[in-house]
Amino acid sequence: MEWSPLIITLQTAGAATVATFFLGIGLALLVVRMRRFQGLADAVITLPMVLPPTVVGFFLLLLLGKRSVIGKFLLQFDINLVFTWKAAVIAAIVVSLPLMYRTARGAFEQLDPNIISAARTLGVSDWRIFWHILLPNARGGILAGLVLSFTRALGEFGATIMFAGNIPGVTQTMSTAIYAAVQANDYDLAGQWAVIIVAFSLFFVLLLNWWLARQTKGGALWS
Amino acid sequence: MKKVLVWIVAALSLLAAGCGSEQAQPEQKGGPVELHVAAAASLTDVMQEIAAAYEKEHPQVKVVFNFGSSGALQQAIQNGGQTDVFFSAAQKQMNALEKDGLLSEGTRRDLLINEVVLIVPAEGGKSLQDFKELTGADIQHIALGEPKGVPVGQYAEEVFTSLGILEPIKAKAVYGSDVRQVLSWVETGDADCGVVYATDAAVSKKVRVAAKAPAGSHKPIVYPAAMLKDSKHPEEAKDFLNFVGNDDNKKLFAKYGFEVK
Amino acid sequence: MELTVNIEKQLRNFTLQVDFSLRDEVLALLGASGCGKSMTLKCIAGLEKPDKGRIVLNGRVLYDSEAGINLKPQQRKVGYLFQNYALFPNMTVAENIAFVAGGSRAEKQRRTAENLARFKLEALAGTYPHELSGGQQQRAALARILAADNELLLLDEPFSALDSYLKWQLELELTAVLQDYHGAALLVSHDRGEVYRLANRIAVINQGKMEAVHTKQGLFQSPDTLAATLLTGCKNVSAARRLAADRIYAEDWQMELQVLGQVPENVRYAAIRAHFMEVKPKMQENTFAMDVVNVVEDVFSYLVMLRRQGTEARPLRWELSKDEWRRLKEPAVLYLYFPPEKIMLMER
Repeated sequence: MEWSPLIITLQTAGAATVATFFLGIGLALLVVRMRRFQGLADAVITLPMVLPPTVVGFFLLLLLGKRSVIGKFLLQFDINLVFTWKAAVIAAIVVSLPLMYRTARGAFEQLDPNIISAARTLGVSDWRIFWHILLPNARGGILAGLVLSFTRALGEFGATIMFAGNIPGVTQTMSTAIYAAVQANDYDLAGQWAVIIVAFSLFFVLLLNWWLARQTKGGALWS
Repeated sequence: MKKVLVWIVAALSLLAAGCGSEQAQPEQKGGPVELHVAAAASLTDVMQEIAAAYEKEHPQVKVVFNFGSSGALQQAIQNGGQTDVFFSAAQKQMNALEKDGLLSEGTRRDLLINEVVLIVPAEGGKSLQDFKELTGADIQHIALGEPKGVPVGQYAEEVFTSLGILEPIKAKAVYGSDVRQVLSWVETGDADCGVVYATDAAVSKKVRVAAKAPAGSHKPIVYPAAMLKDSKHPEEAKDFLNFVGNDDNKKLFAKYGFEVK
Repeated sequence: MELTVNIEKQLRNFTLQVDFSLRDEVLALLGASGCGKSMTLKCIAGLEKPDKGRIVLNGRVLYDSEAGINLKPQQRKVGYLFQNYALFPNMTVAENIAFVAGGSRAEKQRRTAENLARFKLEALAGTYPHELSGGQQQRAALARILAADNELLLLDEPFSALDSYLKWQLELELTAVLQDYHGAALLVSHDRGEVYRLANRIAVINQGKMEAVHTKQGLFQSPDTLAATLLTGCKNVSAARRLAADRIYAEDWQMELQVLGQVPENVRYAAIRAHFMEVKPKMQENTFAMDVVNVVEDVFSYLVMLRRQGTEARPLRWELSKDEWRRLKEPAVLYLYFPPEKIMLMER
C-alpha cells in the first residue's frame, strides 16, 4: 500500500489548521467588534460551509487561477497554484475556516463583555487581554473549533479535487485516494482508506469530547 | 490550557512543515521526466496499466496521473493546472480547451469509443436479449442515470426514444446520480436491469451484458485525447499519446470495454 | 483630584446631555434605570465614545471632540467597578490583582499583598471568582482597582446584585474605602438611600438630561424638579397652581394649601413626603377631613391611602409607625394636617 495519501492528508490538514486557527480567531474577533456590515461579513465567511465543496473549488479556480487578477500577479513570481499541494492547503483552509470562525465567535460572545471592559479600564493592553483573558476563557470553543476544522480538512474532497487535482504523491489525499480507488474498481483499497480516515476523525473528535467532559464535569442535559 | 493550545499548534506546524520540503522540484536535470497526464476518471484502471507498460519501455519517463471528472479537469486546466496530456470522456470538454487555444495543434485525436449496454445481475438475472423487452410486465425497476446530469442517462434516453419506448420505460425508471450508482443497483439486484457504459459492465463481475444498444440509436460516445500547448515535455507527451493508441493496447482497452478508434 | 465632564451622545430614545465637575468628593448620579447614568460612566472610562464634548481629569484631556482627542480606556487611569464585578474567571483573586498591578515583579508582589491585606482577602488569595460570595467578589474587585493606578473611581450600581443584608455590610466597607481613598468617586445608583449615605453631592439625570447638582441635604429637602422629587422617594405629587404669594391649589388632591415662602409664578407641581403629614384632633389651618381608602401593613409601618372627603380626588399616601396607627384605632375618617414648611414646590 502506498502511504503518501495519509502523509499528504495529515500535512495539508495540519497546515490548513494552523492557518485556520489564526485566521478563524482573528476574523471572529473582527466580526464580533464590527458595528456595521456584521451580518454580511459573517455570511461571506460562513458561505463555504453551506456551499457544495465543488462550487467552492470552482470559485477558487476563478479567484486564484492563472486567468484571474490574483493568479496573474502570482505568475509574475512564477507561482502557479492549480494542481499543487498549496492549492490543497488553500482548499482545506477555505472549507474548514467557517467551523473555526463560528465556534470561536460563539465562544467569544459567551464571555461577559464587562470582563473585557474591566481589563481595559485597568490598563491591560489589548494584546494581553487577548492572550490572558479572551483565549483562556474561550478555550472550550476554540479547541472545539480546532478539532472540527482539522477533521473537516482531513475529509475534504470536492474543493480539493477541483482546485488541486488528484495527483498521487503530490495532491492525492485520503479522500481523493478513495475516489480514485473506486474509479479503478479497487474497492478493497477504497475500504482500507475509508477505515483509516474514519479512525483518525473519530480519534480526534473523541479526544475533544473527553477533554470537554473533563473541563465541565457536566452530566447529561436530559436524563 | 495555554500549554495545550501551544502544544497542538506546534504539532500541527511540524506536520505542515513537511509539506514544503517534500515538494522539491520534481524536474532535476538528469532525473526522470515527469509527464503530467489528466484523464477522465472512467479511464483510471486501464490508463494505470498502460502507463506501467510505457514506463517499462521508457525508464526515463514517470507518468503522473490526475484522475477526475472531465469537466473539473477542463476547468482546472483552463485556470492554469499544469498538464501535458489530457484524456477526456467527451468532446465537449476538449472543444472548450481547443476554443481557448490551449491544445497543441495537430495532436487532438478521437482515441476511444464507448458503448451503451443493457445489464442484468450476473446471477439470477432476467434473460433479456433486447432493449425492447424492457416494456414487459416482469420488469419492475430499470436503473438509469439521471438524464439531466449524468451523460449515460442522456444516451439511454436517446436509445429509448429511437425505439419508441421512452414513455413506458419512464414509469419504471430509478435514477442514479452517477453511473457507479446505477451499476451497484444492478449488482445487488435491487433493480432488474440497468443501462450503463460497456466499460462499466466490463469491470464488474456481478453483472452480465444482456444487449448492446442498436447501431445508430444514440450519438457516438467518443473519448478524445490531446497534448496541451504549454506542455513542458512535448516530445515525451507526443510519444505517450501515440503509445496509448497503438495496436498493442487495443486488446487491453477491449478488456475494459473500450474500442480503439 | 478634579474631573470636568461636558458631553453629548445620541442614544436610541433620547440624547444624553451631562455637564458637571467634581473635586475631591463623591458625586452621585441618581436616575431611573435606562436614563443614561451607566452610559455616562462608560463615556468617562472610554468604553463608549460621546458624540461631542470634553472630559478632563486632573488637567489631562481624556476626550475632546473638537481637538480630536479620545484616549483609550487603558490610558485614562479611571477605575470602573462593574455591577457584576467582572473578575477574570480564569484567575485566582491574587492573580486578578497581580495581573493589573503595574511596576516590576517585586512591585507587583508588594501591591498585590498590600491590597489583599487591605480588603482582608489573604485567606481567599488562591480561590477563583466563582467560589466567592457576592461580597467577597466586590472586595476583590475593589482591591484590583486600587492595585492599578487610578485617579478616579467609577461605581456602577455597586450593590444591585446583592441581597439587603450583604448590601449593608458592603456599604459600610465601601464607605471606609472611599474615606481611605484620596481620589474622587462617581457613584451611579437608582437607590436614594444608597446615594444619600455615600455621596456628598447628587445630580439627577432624567431621560438623559442632567439637572442641577445639589448637596444631598438640599436635594432631599427641596428638590427643584418633578424627576428629582420622584427619585428622592417622594410618593405624593400633584399638579398645582399659584393662588397667592403663599397659597396654592393642588389639583390632583383638590386642596387649597397654605405654603411657606414665596410661591413662584410658574409653579407646576406640589409634593409632600408620606411621613410628613400629621393627624389632628380637629379642623384647623391646612387640615382636611380625609376618608381612609385603603390600609396596607408594611414591615415596620402602616401605609394608609387617604382621599379628601366628599371628592373623587387622587388619594395621598401616608406612612406612620404601627404604634401610632394602633393608637388611632382604625378610624374611617381623620383630620390630616399638611405642615406648610414641608410642602415642596416645583416649576418643572
